[in-house]
Amino acid sequence: MTELFSQFLNPLLIPFIGAEFAAMAVNIIVILIKVAVVVAVALLHVAYATYWERKVIGHMQLRLGPREVGPFGLLQPFADGVKLFFKEDIIPDNADKPIFYLAPVIFFVAALTSLSVLPFFDGFVIADINVGLLFLFAMSSLGAYGIVMSGWSSGSKYAFLGGLRSASQVISYEIAMGLSLVGVMIMAGSLNLTEIVRAQYESTFSFYAIPQVMGFFVFFVAMFAETNRLPFDLPEAESELVAGYFTEYSGFRFAMFFLGEYTGMLIMSSMATICFLGGWTLPKFIMDALPFLSSLPAFVWVAVFLAKVYVFMFLFYWVRATLPRYRYDQLMNIGWKVLIPIALVNITVTGLAKIWFKGMI
Amino acid sequence: MKSDKLIKTVFFVEILKGMALTFKTLFKPPVTRRYPLVPVPSKPGFRGLHALAKDNTGRMKCVGCGLCGAYCPSQCIHIYTTEGEDHSKVVERYEVDVLRCIFCGFCVEACPFGAITLSEHYEYSSYNRDDFYMTKEKLLANWDKYFEGEKGKQYFKKFWRPLTSDFKGDPEQAMFSKIQRRGK
Repeated sequence: MTELFSQFLNPLLIPFIGAEFAAMAVNIIVILIKVAVVVAVALLHVAYATYWERKVIGHMQLRLGPREVGPFGLLQPFADGVKLFFKEDIIPDNADKPIFYLAPVIFFVAALTSLSVLPFFDGFVIADINVGLLFLFAMSSLGAYGIVMSGWSSGSKYAFLGGLRSASQVISYEIAMGLSLVGVMIMAGSLNLTEIVRAQYESTFSFYAIPQVMGFFVFFVAMFAETNRLPFDLPEAESELVAGYFTEYSGFRFAMFFLGEYTGMLIMSSMATICFLGGWTLPKFIMDALPFLSSLPAFVWVAVFLAKVYVFMFLFYWVRATLPRYRYDQLMNIGWKVLIPIALVNITVTGLAKIWFKGMI
Repeated sequence: MKSDKLIKTVFFVEILKGMALTFKTLFKPPVTRRYPLVPVPSKPGFRGLHALAKDNTGRMKCVGCGLCGAYCPSQCIHIYTTEGEDHSKVVERYEVDVLRCIFCGFCVEACPFGAITLSEHYEYSSYNRDDFYMTKEKLLANWDKYFEGEKGKQYFKKFWRPLTSDFKGDPEQAMFSKIQRRGK
């Protein structure tokens, strides 16, 4: 992509700013185009994630879900967006205003920033950094700051309780989640997400979900807690806390929390896909059986990636439609007494296996 | 027993059962009624908008006895009668305040001539209160609208006293058979 753009732009740029700066400008333009594409596609996915969630959960409860706006209700996400955009922006009197303004922005930006390190297909990453996985952890922790700050600054007891719950929940489950992925890191020998996918493709099972089944389980449970989704949606428990940390938010500030939550779901699904289900690759035995597949252009594999992401998104909806909310002490028990020990055992076993059976797994 | 429970906890048997149930439900037809788009037919005997019955010659059946108004619990039926030229009773005005009516159907039960009826029509919302104040003309027009032909003839036979067109009463109907037995 960079070569293509430099062919077009170099004759225009080099006479004015010289070859060195021209290369830099081309790089920046390419990155900006990538950012625009990823953000647009991700936000479109978020919009339709809400639509499909309502559809799937509706049908699971013998209802129809949205179907009035546009054919099959397909324009419903946009109708919702327009409605939220034109709603009155209410700010409570005893809100801590600067923090109140800042909190949804932090939450949303942290969610969107995570998109920059995800490899959607071979060679398509906005920022191919060598600590991609750590960066994702950092960003999901940063999102928790948005929640805690919104709860603190709203000047409402419900929001405050929601923020506190979120803080303790995210701290507890972040450990489990980080530890669950250590096994993957050991097996792949890298923190770069592209490298993880490539190493995974070369491994025996092509899916780390099979040798890392314990880690996958821990990640799967922690994934729900990290995104504040049912059955761990205690920070926004409707029946107890009105709406939790975003009780006092309205209009587009609320929409930012909403978009951030669904972007978070997409990112968690992408992480699970990349670390455990082989990212954009199909299992090796399929590739060997159908040799023509390897001659396909790279961008085709984004379909495989998205299909895997959709499976996880569907699981999010499915679990939400099925399970009730855990009690708070149960949540903490699962986090500290079940998931973290399992993850630690997994790390030990994986590490020993890596030493003893070199190249076997 | 204990290992049983352990296996159930470790493999999430209960949770997976629940997930299987919701997944099966996903493919069942939804129970939603898309009402304004797909109208819901009212059940037989539904008590909807009022109508005044006409006989075969097209004359109003009501004779202005006033029993319906006397029975009416919400007192929403107003009847005004005058004396006609041949000293007969003429129903000058017969008015139902539909907004006060509770649709108990007592007026239909009370009427000895089967004159006041409740149609199965229920979509009569309006922005104007006057539209819900039924005059004699409107009520007679309702009969033509909602009880045209066979529907009007069958109306009393199915659900209301008297069941027969000659107002003798059907022996199989619970109310009448009781009264007859008491008479004997």
